[in-house]
Amino acid sequence: MASQLETPPVPSSPQELDDLAPMQRRRLGALRRMWAPMHDAKGMPKAIVWVGIGITVAFILMAIFATQIAPYAFDQYKTAEGVRFIKQQAPSAQHLFGTNVMSTDVLSRVIFGSRTAIEVVLLSLFVSMGIGLPLGLISGYHGGKLDRTLLVFMDAMLAFPSLLFAIVIAFLLSKTFGHGVVTAALAISIVYVPQYFRVVRNHVISIREESYVEAARAMGARPWTIMRRYVLQNVIQNVPIIATLNAADAILTLAALGFLGYGIQPTEAAEWGYDIQRAISDAGAGIWWTGLFPGLAIVLLVTGLTLVGEGLNDVLNPVIRKRPIEPVELPPREGAEAEPEPGDEDQT
Amino acid sequence: MRSAGAREERGFYVRRTLRVGAAVAVLAVMVAACKSNSSTAGGSGAPNSSATIVHGTTDSIVSLDPAGQYDLGSQQISGEIYDNLLVIPAGGNTPEASAAQSCAYSDPKTYTCTLKPGLKFSDGSPLTSEDVAFSFKRNLEINDPNGACSLLNAINKPGADGCKWNPASIDTPDDATITFHLNAPDATWPMILTSSAAYIVPSDVFPETKLQPDDKVIGSGHYTLTKYTPGQQVVLAPNPNWWGDPPANGGVIVQYFDKSSALKLALEQGDVDVGWRTFTPTDVEGMKGESQLQVLTGPGSEIRYLVFNESFPAGKELAVRQAVAMTVDRQAIVHNVYNDTVAPLWSMVPSALPGHIDAFKDAYGDSPDVAGAKKALQDAGISTPVPLEIWWTPTHYGDSSADEYAEIKRSLESSGLFTVTLKSTEWDTYINAAVTDQYPNYQLGWFPDYPDPDNYVFTFYSSASFLNDHYKNAKVDQLLADERASTDQAQRVKDFQEIQKIGAQDVPIVPIWEGRQLAVTTQGITGVQDTLDVAYLLRYWMIGKSS
Amino acid sequence: MKRSSSLRGYVITRTLLAIPMLLILLTVVFLLMRVAPGDPISAALGGKLPAAELARRKHDAGYDRPLAVQYVEYLKDVATLNFGTTILDNRPVTQVIAQNGAATLELTFFAMIVAMVAGVGIGLLAGAYRDTAIDLGGRLFGIVLYAAPVFFLGFLAQLTFGKWLDWLPTSGQTSPVVGATLQTHTNILVIDAIIDRNWSALQDVLRHLIMPSVVLGLVIGGIFIRLVRVNLLQTMKGDYVEAARARGVKEPRVVYKHAFKNALVPVITIMGLTFALLLGGAVLTEETFNWPGIGAELVRYLDNRDYIAVQGIVVVTGIIVVIVSLAIDILNAWVDPRIRY
Repeated sequence: MASQLETPPVPSSPQELDDLAPMQRRRLGALRRMWAPMHDAKGMPKAIVWVGIGITVAFILMAIFATQIAPYAFDQYKTAEGVRFIKQQAPSAQHLFGTNVMSTDVLSRVIFGSRTAIEVVLLSLFVSMGIGLPLGLISGYHGGKLDRTLLVFMDAMLAFPSLLFAIVIAFLLSKTFGHGVVTAALAISIVYVPQYFRVVRNHVISIREESYVEAARAMGARPWTIMRRYVLQNVIQNVPIIATLNAADAILTLAALGFLGYGIQPTEAAEWGYDIQRAISDAGAGIWWTGLFPGLAIVLLVTGLTLVGEGLNDVLNPVIRKRPIEPVELPPREGAEAEPEPGDEDQT
Repeated sequence: MRSAGAREERGFYVRRTLRVGAAVAVLAVMVAACKSNSSTAGGSGAPNSSATIVHGTTDSIVSLDPAGQYDLGSQQISGEIYDNLLVIPAGGNTPEASAAQSCAYSDPKTYTCTLKPGLKFSDGSPLTSEDVAFSFKRNLEINDPNGACSLLNAINKPGADGCKWNPASIDTPDDATITFHLNAPDATWPMILTSSAAYIVPSDVFPETKLQPDDKVIGSGHYTLTKYTPGQQVVLAPNPNWWGDPPANGGVIVQYFDKSSALKLALEQGDVDVGWRTFTPTDVEGMKGESQLQVLTGPGSEIRYLVFNESFPAGKELAVRQAVAMTVDRQAIVHNVYNDTVAPLWSMVPSALPGHIDAFKDAYGDSPDVAGAKKALQDAGISTPVPLEIWWTPTHYGDSSADEYAEIKRSLESSGLFTVTLKSTEWDTYINAAVTDQYPNYQLGWFPDYPDPDNYVFTFYSSASFLNDHYKNAKVDQLLADERASTDQAQRVKDFQEIQKIGAQDVPIVPIWEGRQLAVTTQGITGVQDTLDVAYLLRYWMIGKSS
Repeated sequence: MKRSSSLRGYVITRTLLAIPMLLILLTVVFLLMRVAPGDPISAALGGKLPAAELARRKHDAGYDRPLAVQYVEYLKDVATLNFGTTILDNRPVTQVIAQNGAATLELTFFAMIVAMVAGVGIGLLAGAYRDTAIDLGGRLFGIVLYAAPVFFLGFLAQLTFGKWLDWLPTSGQTSPVVGATLQTHTNILVIDAIIDRNWSALQDVLRHLIMPSVVLGLVIGGIFIRLVRVNLLQTMKGDYVEAARARGVKEPRVVYKHAFKNALVPVITIMGLTFALLLGGAVLTEETFNWPGIGAELVRYLDNRDYIAVQGIVVVTGIIVVIVSLAIDILNAWVDPRIRY
């Protein structure tokens, strides 16, 4: 009888995981508990997440293997034999996406651009989460003077138009770090710290009021234990969603910086926003390939990341996710045979 | 619950959305379909003297008060609103009398002008010598950070630190006579009188110690300012009190654009009649093929060059500098980067000015001489490849700078004699660092204040050059002093040629290219070709539109 | 920890907190502009004048005084609402804000209309037909719109509707002739044209508005689609919706009367915040379409290290955003008592 309440053996395959009743699943470790809804989800939301993951992974692979995939280097202007590329040449066999005004291959610049984008986004995610998350947690949980001071400071930063903030930080940093990936990443990360802070803090405050946290406090649990067990876990579940959506936004900010001319210079790395800026004057001359492909790259990668975030939200957000009704398994009566009750039809 | 309710709900939404969407679409089509009449392609026949010309540009205005400006955007409008004692006539390169009846040197340090009789400002008040003296006085006294009072060194208070009015420098014995007492013999004074520092303003309207608001400026030039929307538009109407011939049009609208590609589209759509100077090479390539536009070129006086700071190891060696001058491939830059909208520059004085010689071409030939460069380096005992750090800036000289310096790096490295590291930073940091010994080699450009070779050679080759490149040549300084003191044009030309030859030998600076002045107009616009000259002023009064 | 659960307490606290927030903003702007390398004079005249002359002009203008002195003077000026005159082009900063701010206001207002029509409409549809083709299509549309940088969309729009089809103008607020002849009263050209009953000018102004406001509005609308959809889904699970259905209320009425209104409250919050961000971040739209708005001017002054202009514009924008976010926070607290201190 007590068997159902004990921790079941750890399942060693997804099938075994599915076989467990939901009640049993809840006894498993935190991580598995978090991702359990993924198995519950069916159809559309699942497909969305996987499509998004597919696109994002494709870009990440493109970034990692850029040197192998791309036909030329991102600043290469002549063949190995020394023959110069033709400037602004339309797409052809040697240049699938054509060449741009600097006589470099558009396809190679798009591929290397993904490397730049992924590098900048990863670095900035790391920095802004590393600062914003802990601050938000501590501030939200403890409240009081610390919370108020931080809130005022962060709100002041939020009041500054974010793109312009990023531009000024890029100015400041370019003196020491030059016009490369590090400057752009740091500029972008500083802009997002207040956003992480605010979201995490608000979430923590909402959870702080929940009865189970109050109960834990009443039982004498230490603040760190409460934060770790209840608050952190709940918040962490939201982090992938926020992170992917912020990553999407970071790529748009990077492209905007590049478009306005404050981002990464073409001699340092390939960057999509800068290429579009150069393409604007090409468009008037009917040269469409220099701007179209970098732009599509941005759209695809940002869409991929957003699909992951959106899809995860659909799947993980307890308020809107669809939960299938599992057949209820009652413990067998003493001496009688176990007989599962028929379940209801799916709840819409 | 897939019931009838669900179907109803679907229908409800679909109908509502469709209704709203349809309403919006119809509204949009209605508004878009009725195109306003843009100016049609021009026809033949005489210019319509009451037509309005629309000039599109990406320049911007700093100030319309002469005391507060030192930039092309402000000069372009001010040159239409104000008059000078002397001006450079269309197609010419020596000063001619405008507001003045005549001007002459009575001795090398005294220059006297008499005004034409009956001159008036656009508000009807008479223009006298008092106004002229007042204009110079306030320029020096206001000493605006954006102003050009430093051009008036010749009448500045001697020994003063910066701009200071010297009451003894200008005499006005009567209403029509002005006498300038120069601190030292200065052959460039007539040229300076044609510049933006010498516009004439009314003394009863403009304040003496601060700038006049831009929308209330009054002058005695061809046009008056009727409307000013900063950053967007300037509207000019012919000045009824102008002393000369009325303009060939009935007024001008100057439209300001952020990007040259927007200006180009506006030209193609007929919203703008004339575009001048501010196009990228790609824009120009595209416009050459369009039948409703004409592309006109004229001599230019904008130059670009590469400076060596001689306090650094690479810049210190004459052989290195000469080798770079011999290796850099100007033709490649001009052709590949700029689509031939600029020309190779063979001297620090542009080819349109009298006194120019192709000093670098004479010294080193007109195509890269790698063997010669190699020999020069070997003879000096310098091991190759020579490491060079070259700085440029992406935010002041246009987007093509990136391509230009990539091209320079290519031509230098493909000779095998140099390894080049390119570095860049945005303009403000760049210009401060470049002239304070932080960069060993750097890009710069120059627009003249007035079209005289002195404005080039003095700026670049004198030991007091703002470049701070540590180049000092006593002979050059002597020649500069001579040409400034001499009023014999032939002698000055000889001096300039001598200076350019020395410059090609010493190579403190490598000239790269000179601009070709470029204008694009719609069909039916006349008079623009005649105003494309070294004075760098688009003279609106010469532009006509046949409708 | 002490918690005041009265709304009035919250309002007072938040309003008081707004003041140090503004002070921090002012100080951060001041420091950033002074610390950033460069100054307005060498930005304008470097490369034309010798370093000594530049240094002298800087000294005359007071840019090399100690930071503390300049800071105190700056605070005094702000307190008296004296925002000064720009260094770059001698315009009173208040004039810059009035003229260019009005242009941005016009653009963002019409963009918000487009965003609401497109966003709310498609979001409602997507939420109502969850997990069907309409839902997927609507959500994808929203995501792709948001993912496309506004300058890329603008560039495609200019190419298609401007160059190839030649239906619409691609830059500026008006055509040059209309700009020269239209009288300005409020600086908001649509209103000015209506005041003067100048119908041809109004048509010209509207034609120039279409592309920029639709492009910007669609990008913002992309965000709204997802927000409205999620909020609608959350609301439709609510008990009162269930109760209404149980009472036999027809489905459209259920959604429109009960769910819709409640779903929109958080959306109003987000719209308010987006509006504030729009004001500052319409830079890209203004750059792409040559729209003479405050964002483009801010970038220009920033490029030229024009301290006075940048400070003035940022401070006024900051004040507007602070007021708007204060109003939103109060609204939020009124609805959700847990958020109060």
